[in-house]
Amino acid sequence: MGLLDPTSGSDVQLNGLAPRVDGLHGKRIGLYDNGKMAAEPVLEVLEGKLRDRYENITISRHAKETKHDVEDPEKLAAVSEWANEEELDACIGAIGDCGSCTKLLTWGMAAVEEVGVPTVGLIDEGFELDWQSNAIERGWPLRYEKTAVRSEVRDHELIAERMTPDALAAIEDELTRPLSETETNGTRTDNRTPTHE
Amino acid sequence: MSDDVHGGQSLEEINDTYYSRGATDGLPIVPPTEERLDEMLTGTDLPRDHVLGHLGDESRPLSVEKLATNAIMAGCLPTHMPVLVAGAKALADPASNSMTFSVSTTGWAYMWTLNGPIRNDIDVQCGSGAYGPGFRPNRVIGRALGLAYKNTAKIHPGEKDMATFGNPFKFSLVAGENEEQSPWEPYHVSEGYDADESTITLAGPSCFITWTPYRNEARYILEGMVDHMDPYMTAAGKHTVWHLICPYSAEQLGNAGLSKADVQRYVSENSYVPREKYARGKYQDRYLDRIDGGDVPSRQLSLAPDPENLKILSLGGAGTVNAIVGPSIGGPVTERIELPDNWAQLTERYRTERNWVDASNFYDH
Repeated sequence: MGLLDPTSGSDVQLNGLAPRVDGLHGKRIGLYDNGKMAAEPVLEVLEGKLRDRYENITISRHAKETKHDVEDPEKLAAVSEWANEEELDACIGAIGDCGSCTKLLTWGMAAVEEVGVPTVGLIDEGFELDWQSNAIERGWPLRYEKTAVRSEVRDHELIAERMTPDALAAIEDELTRPLSETETNGTRTDNRTPTHE
Repeated sequence: MSDDVHGGQSLEEINDTYYSRGATDGLPIVPPTEERLDEMLTGTDLPRDHVLGHLGDESRPLSVEKLATNAIMAGCLPTHMPVLVAGAKALADPASNSMTFSVSTTGWAYMWTLNGPIRNDIDVQCGSGAYGPGFRPNRVIGRALGLAYKNTAKIHPGEKDMATFGNPFKFSLVAGENEEQSPWEPYHVSEGYDADESTITLAGPSCFITWTPYRNEARYILEGMVDHMDPYMTAAGKHTVWHLICPYSAEQLGNAGLSKADVQRYVSENSYVPREKYARGKYQDRYLDRIDGGDVPSRQLSLAPDPENLKILSLGGAGTVNAIVGPSIGGPVTERIELPDNWAQLTERYRTERNWVDASNFYDH
């Protein structure tokens, strides 16, 4: 007779990500604000930089009032609807710089990937493992890029200074780099806590 | 030590395995065996596969069996199961906000308050040292519910549970209200329950501040409650702040003819901070926007605009020490505790005496 498993998890089927785009010139880019304080200034700076860098780019913004909004299934569904109705080619989400906002940003990005739009989430470097574990739990090996500023920085000048061409190129890379086989097909991952059987 | 305790494995080996897989809180566990599960399940009439709710997200159900498994690991008795079942329902209630405060960088605790006859049935400490250490129900109930959340939502410190420092109270903030020494109606009665019903209430605070009044007189107790409302202790919006009043101070307030509502109102009306101090708090920006609608900005701002967001518990033992616990972003959610049909036999079987100090040879009264 074995010892018991205290966890409730089961195998997680990871979904395949949406195909990436071939470049950002001329594309419709969605900017998703998850309601965390630093999301708005980061995306404002990013929008300006994107317009400067890429020709004929179109920007569509979608902002949640608070990070908790997507806990409401209707408000989460509205994220998918926005991406669909705006016919986005790609989406950049901000920001994962705390425990709950990182978790809930993965929910928002997964909702966009569900309708076939490639995404990248912007996160503070200290929340990388948090992003990965939440993305896997959500069933999507979501891509992310680390922000050049620390958690909760809202200083436009500092954000603009740190958002260098290299930083923009890294974001672009996540939206354009071809998917790996696992990212394309998804996979099954053991999400249980094994015990002595 | 390597005594065989289960299937050829020592207690140390079993603990190493569960720890390495992230299924513990870092302390040793009681190995969860089928035999112990059968025994634990005698504490509930619910079937083992009954789902009590979902924790973390909608894909993570917590069944009675999984709750009982975590209860075994935490060191619970079957008589704790009715409390755990109600606590699990509170955690799963979206109004608890447990999904957020379990993983937040601030680091919040699961604060559990027990009311009604269950406190005496299972020997929950309500008096001196209630928050411990030292009292089994107070320690293991919080631990079991914490483990159940952690193992269902699959959160680990630094990986989904992103509390910057953690919180030393996270699994250990459990006490019963000291109803017997309170001049006021119990908390659960204020919330609409009958006095002979038993309940468990969940909140999610981050800080625990103790303070003593200049003199244990109503005036100074009230002033102390206000003076120790740190600018961080905001009880606005969905936030609550919990004032724990010791029996000696509660007695003074009661003797002065003050009801709980009177105390709540006084603290609400007098807890202000200068605007410039408040405005520096980053989380208050949105709140400032809401209340500064007029042409003339307020010079000082209320920490608790609604007295109802200030919760009063009479708790603890002798002395004149009081406490403020908060701010809480969790709930509060109160759940009724349902007892199994065999409750009388169960409590008799698992009753434990505290024979900690024997003074009978020295004092005859």
